[in-house]
Amino acid sequence: MQITRRHLTLAAGMAAAVALTAGALIASTAQAAPAPDKLAPAFTGVTSSGATITLADFAGKTVVLEWTNDGCPFVKKHYAMPPANMQTLQKNAAAEGIVWISVISSAAGEQGHADAARANELTASRGAAPAHVLLDEAGALGKLYGAKTTPHIFIITPDGQLVYDGAIDSKASAKAEDIEGATNYVTAALADLKAGNPVSTPVTKAYGCAVKYK
Amino acid sequence: MIRVYRALMLALAGFFVLAPVAAAQVSADTRRAKAELISERFSVAPGETVFIALKLTMDPGWHIYWRNAGDAGLPPQLLLRETASIPEDALGKMLWPLPKLLPIVAGEIMDYGYDDEAVFALPLTVPADAAGEVRIDAIADYLICESVCIPETADVSLVLALGDPVENVPSGDLIGAWIAKVPAPFPGETRLSDSAMPWTLSLSLAGGFPEGATIRFFPYEHEISHPAEQPQRVGPGGASLGLTPDRAGQVGAALEGIIRVDAPGAEPAGYVIRAERGDAFAGTTDNAFVPMGLSKEAGLGWQGLLSLAGLALIGGLILNLMPCVLPVLSMKALGMVSAAASGHAGELRAHGLWYTAGVLVSFAALALIILAVREATGFATLGFQLQHAPTVAVLVLIMFAVGLWLMGFLELGRSITNTGATLAGQGGAAGAFFTGVLAAVVGAPCVGPFLGAALGAVMSQPAPAVVAVFLAIGFGMALPFLVLSFVPGLHRLLPKPGKWMETLKQAFAFPMFLTAAWLLSVLADLAGAGAVGWTLAGATALGFAVWIGRDAGLVRRGVAIVALVAAFALPAVQANVPAGRAGGEPAMPAYAEAAWSPAQVDALLAEGRPVFVDFTASWCASCQVNKLTTLSTKRVMTAFEDADVAFLVADFTQKDPAIAEELKRRGRAGVPMYLWYPAGGREPQILPELLTQELVIGLVEGG
Repeated sequence: MQITRRHLTLAAGMAAAVALTAGALIASTAQAAPAPDKLAPAFTGVTSSGATITLADFAGKTVVLEWTNDGCPFVKKHYAMPPANMQTLQKNAAAEGIVWISVISSAAGEQGHADAARANELTASRGAAPAHVLLDEAGALGKLYGAKTTPHIFIITPDGQLVYDGAIDSKASAKAEDIEGATNYVTAALADLKAGNPVSTPVTKAYGCAVKYK
Repeated sequence: MIRVYRALMLALAGFFVLAPVAAAQVSADTRRAKAELISERFSVAPGETVFIALKLTMDPGWHIYWRNAGDAGLPPQLLLRETASIPEDALGKMLWPLPKLLPIVAGEIMDYGYDDEAVFALPLTVPADAAGEVRIDAIADYLICESVCIPETADVSLVLALGDPVENVPSGDLIGAWIAKVPAPFPGETRLSDSAMPWTLSLSLAGGFPEGATIRFFPYEHEISHPAEQPQRVGPGGASLGLTPDRAGQVGAALEGIIRVDAPGAEPAGYVIRAERGDAFAGTTDNAFVPMGLSKEAGLGWQGLLSLAGLALIGGLILNLMPCVLPVLSMKALGMVSAAASGHAGELRAHGLWYTAGVLVSFAALALIILAVREATGFATLGFQLQHAPTVAVLVLIMFAVGLWLMGFLELGRSITNTGATLAGQGGAAGAFFTGVLAAVVGAPCVGPFLGAALGAVMSQPAPAVVAVFLAIGFGMALPFLVLSFVPGLHRLLPKPGKWMETLKQAFAFPMFLTAAWLLSVLADLAGAGAVGWTLAGATALGFAVWIGRDAGLVRRGVAIVALVAAFALPAVQANVPAGRAGGEPAMPAYAEAAWSPAQVDALLAEGRPVFVDFTASWCASCQVNKLTTLSTKRVMTAFEDADVAFLVADFTQKDPAIAEELKRRGRAGVPMYLWYPAGGREPQILPELLTQELVIGLVEGG
């Protein structure tokens, strides 16, 4: 029976090894993208000012996530001055106490990729006013939220519900002259939230360039 | 000298004058596509309808988009300018040729479009009052992308003379060829079943689709996830596709779009479909078709497969210690002891090899069954065999028979039961093989705990990978005995055979009877008390067959065989009740707050409560162990209560598509699965498959 005991010890060791490996496998399993009107997935990221922020930091505040890529013509359309559409949205949000986070998920070497210095330079040169610019060159945050295009907007309520997922406005084009006359879904959703109403258009089809993931 | 100076001045002046022109030309040349308007005619008559087309010739590597661009991008447009001589309504709708998939980021972003060249035909109805000439001035407005995207516009124009029709043969041929690529109405019927995940798009076609055809659905809108694979099933009456809905994916009256059919040796074909809701047509969901990989990244490389197989091997080794396998192994161990005692190393080796063969054959069979289930349903979970009542009834009887045999009431061939020195020969080999089969059959449900994650990963792989991983598990399981029988001298460490072996063997009958009792409770959940009654009657018939068959004699043997057949057949037939919860609602432990559903989780999380979800099934042994040793203990229940944890139960005893989907989403092949959402948490932590009180209490108190 010595053999059996020896095997037991050996197997117990192997069991631990398997449990660890299985744990690692589980941990690496990608989570499915969120659905609107669900809890927004928690995230942690590093901003262009070097700060580490998490979604929980903004509990009690409305959060807007804006995927961006300064080389993309659809992003250029909304940052074009005039009419400075995106900058105005960001400034209005800041005035309302809304946390606007621009996210750059372009991988290194891809269009729109930015390190902290370039991201800050872009904010300055475009006259943009996001509360934070998150650097997501690994694409983890983008894939967690299922960001497909630049721009792509997500709105999270103060209690962490994801209430908007989609385009910035109703006219899918790269022409700045189309901004006027388009329905701005972000403005509409934020107005709904402010009035205490459910967001009337919670999901739209985001339009733009594909996010330049790795 | 002066002449030279003048010439220089002229050249300079010329440079400044010409420079803007040159610059303009450069900007036109840097477009990534050449846009042209072409016509099937040089001249047209007032009132007639002819085809013109926008032709885009793209630089290599660049692409433009279909009418639905997919996740990103924009379809091209042709916009009439004011200088055109025709009104807007003279031009009909653009015809969209069959697009191809443009996988931008594997598994994340999928676009639909064209590369190289695309010709979009439009019908032109020449105004009845047209005079002089027909002048079409327009802007081709398109987004063209490589890795980056560029919106381009190009002025295009076309002048057609009025008068007797004169064909433009090359252009007409080109336009005709591209109109032939526009999807035609589907010659069969289509239906969408969106009640379960994934949705099933059933395509009924008389005579079926061509052999080996790959079918892909391209929606006009965004009801489905564009990058998701569309698992395909085929049958004599057509085919069906599994569609993953988009996050907000909802279908109105019907799902509309096109299907692209790529058959070997044929041009790709496109069909327009409009699928209203309904059950899948018969003959469209028979067999899985292994789709050609959409994304190379989706397949497991050799390295991935090797590491999975390695993990499976270790898991197989550990399987030997699982409570359900131990009694069977005891038989094996006793056989080894006897063989070792006989002193013939050759016998011992043969024994080890036959045992290994038995285990491997069984695991190969299990892999094939799992593949068959996957083909039939598109998704397989471990332990599915315990969701099938007749199988459970037969397993009860097998356990009972094994118990009888261990007790010595039943003889399965002389040499197995005879634990003396005569283990050699055919009987010994067959016995060793049979032991291997039995160990695998009984052990298979226990595979889950250690290999759930690994099997979850391999379950979506091509068939050879699945078989390889299962064989690795089997080899791991057989390995200790193989080593024992081959390493010289090792067997001497085994204890000497003696009367203790018979006693031990009989003692191991009781775990078998307990296993049978547990399976009976599973059966009760699956098929109700009636099936349990029939199974017990079957056990009695089994006992009768053993009793009456003990003595020789043709009549007695005959009666024994009849009783034996009845013992297995009747319970199996009786247990085969219609699907559904014959046993009523699933058994909910007292500490469970509610049945699991994604909405329930969200609601509880919104209340700010922590949530624990127990994905369980009555046939899952490790689930019961966890329940007994951890979840139902006073310590854990008190900890849950103190922290106001909502305990949800997802009962997978019966097949449940929502639960199957959640398991798949989390990359698991079966139950158990435990999810822990801390208060205010948004994404759950997946707990190990074997729980401890310390682990759970630590989480609850920590969270």
